[in-house]
Amino acid sequence: MASASGEQTSAEYIQHHLTNLVCGKTPDGWTCDHNAVDQMGFLAFHVDSLGWSIFLGFVFVALFRFGIPKLSTEAPSGIQNFVEMCIEFVNDNVQSIFTSAKNNLIGPMALTVLVWVFLMNLMDLVPVDYLPTLAGQVAEATGMVEDSKDSYFKVVPTTDPNITLGMALAVFVLIIFYSIKIKGLKGFLAELTLHPFGKWMMPVNLVLEGVNLIAKPISLGLRLFGNLYAGEMIFILIALMLTFSSISIGLLGVGLHLIWALFHILILALQAFIFMVLTIVYLAMAHETEDH
Amino acid sequence: MNINATLLGQTLAFVIFVAICWKYVWPPIIAIMEEREKRIADGLEAAKKADDSLEEAQLAFDQEMNKAKEQAAEILEKANSRASQIVNDATEKAEVEAGKILSSASKTIENDVNKAKEELRQKMSELIIDTSEKILGNEISPEKHQELLKKAAAEL
Repeated sequence: MASASGEQTSAEYIQHHLTNLVCGKTPDGWTCDHNAVDQMGFLAFHVDSLGWSIFLGFVFVALFRFGIPKLSTEAPSGIQNFVEMCIEFVNDNVQSIFTSAKNNLIGPMALTVLVWVFLMNLMDLVPVDYLPTLAGQVAEATGMVEDSKDSYFKVVPTTDPNITLGMALAVFVLIIFYSIKIKGLKGFLAELTLHPFGKWMMPVNLVLEGVNLIAKPISLGLRLFGNLYAGEMIFILIALMLTFSSISIGLLGVGLHLIWALFHILILALQAFIFMVLTIVYLAMAHETEDH
Repeated sequence: MNINATLLGQTLAFVIFVAICWKYVWPPIIAIMEEREKRIADGLEAAKKADDSLEEAQLAFDQEMNKAKEQAAEILEKANSRASQIVNDATEKAEVEAGKILSSASKTIENDVNKAKEELRQKMSELIIDTSEKILGNEISPEKHQELLKKAAAEL
């Protein structure tokens, strides 16, 4: 780790770890050159976080669909047991929150969210320098960059607000879709405008309920991002301790890394679970037809 | 940390993976789990039924058993009375037989005694005649005194 950042200052080391590999459209056309990032507009992709996210999505599908050699009713194999355990857990959660309405999309969506977000979070436990260094070596070897330090590679997708807000956006769209589908456009608008203060205070109601509505996806996405970003940051700071030439600080860093990683396992699972539960709760609220 | 098209890309990926899960991952496993649930419920019901029928069978068994016991007792009683009857019959027969044997034996004895008496009388009369002949000489011949001798023999 020290070798990779030997000539970097601490600030540069941290900055390097927090920068994405971006490919986007500049006035001169599409490019993945990091020096052109400032010229890119909205039409740019974080190839690393998006790539890991999609890869882990396929890992999820592979594990849950193709990981089981043969589905068995009587003698489920190890992976099938695990998969059934996950599904039962998700299903129990969905059924305890969705008491009146029925929607068979919610279960699969909650399962996807739980496992996918957990896998993305899990990338946080890969030591912070492994994959960026590997990516740098590959990039340098293939001639994509002159120096491996010019290659940027951010591994944990959920430390990228684009990823977490992207999922929150999908949930938000579903909230609006089901609100309108279940209550009708009129019912949905009534919910937004007619309380808490009655129809003579419509503008005030709209502002209050609008904030309430918008806050759902924003808080959903930013909560996950904030937790994982902070966790990642601490891993980077601990890794920074290993770049000092003092052995005692290095050993302390190893110990701290171990402790933080163990503690972080809890956060990873917990944040994935929270994201799933909130998704279910928001959609359950969208299905509620009773008046407040 | 700027927001860009990655967000929309992730939204699209989310929709696609949720759809894959909805169509291909969730249904087969849920179906398997429901089938297992059903099987277990069926099994429990069958077990309950079997339990009930076992109870019924136990009841029927008890009834049959009681009946059999009664029958056995009846048969035993009959056999006992029959046995005592046979013994009584046999005893009776034996007594009759014994009486017969006894009476025939006593008849034989009587006959023998009479015979012996008869012989004794004969011998006695002969002895007397012999002796009388010797005493009286030839005066008295058996031919002459046949009648007298017979009388004597009858008196003996």
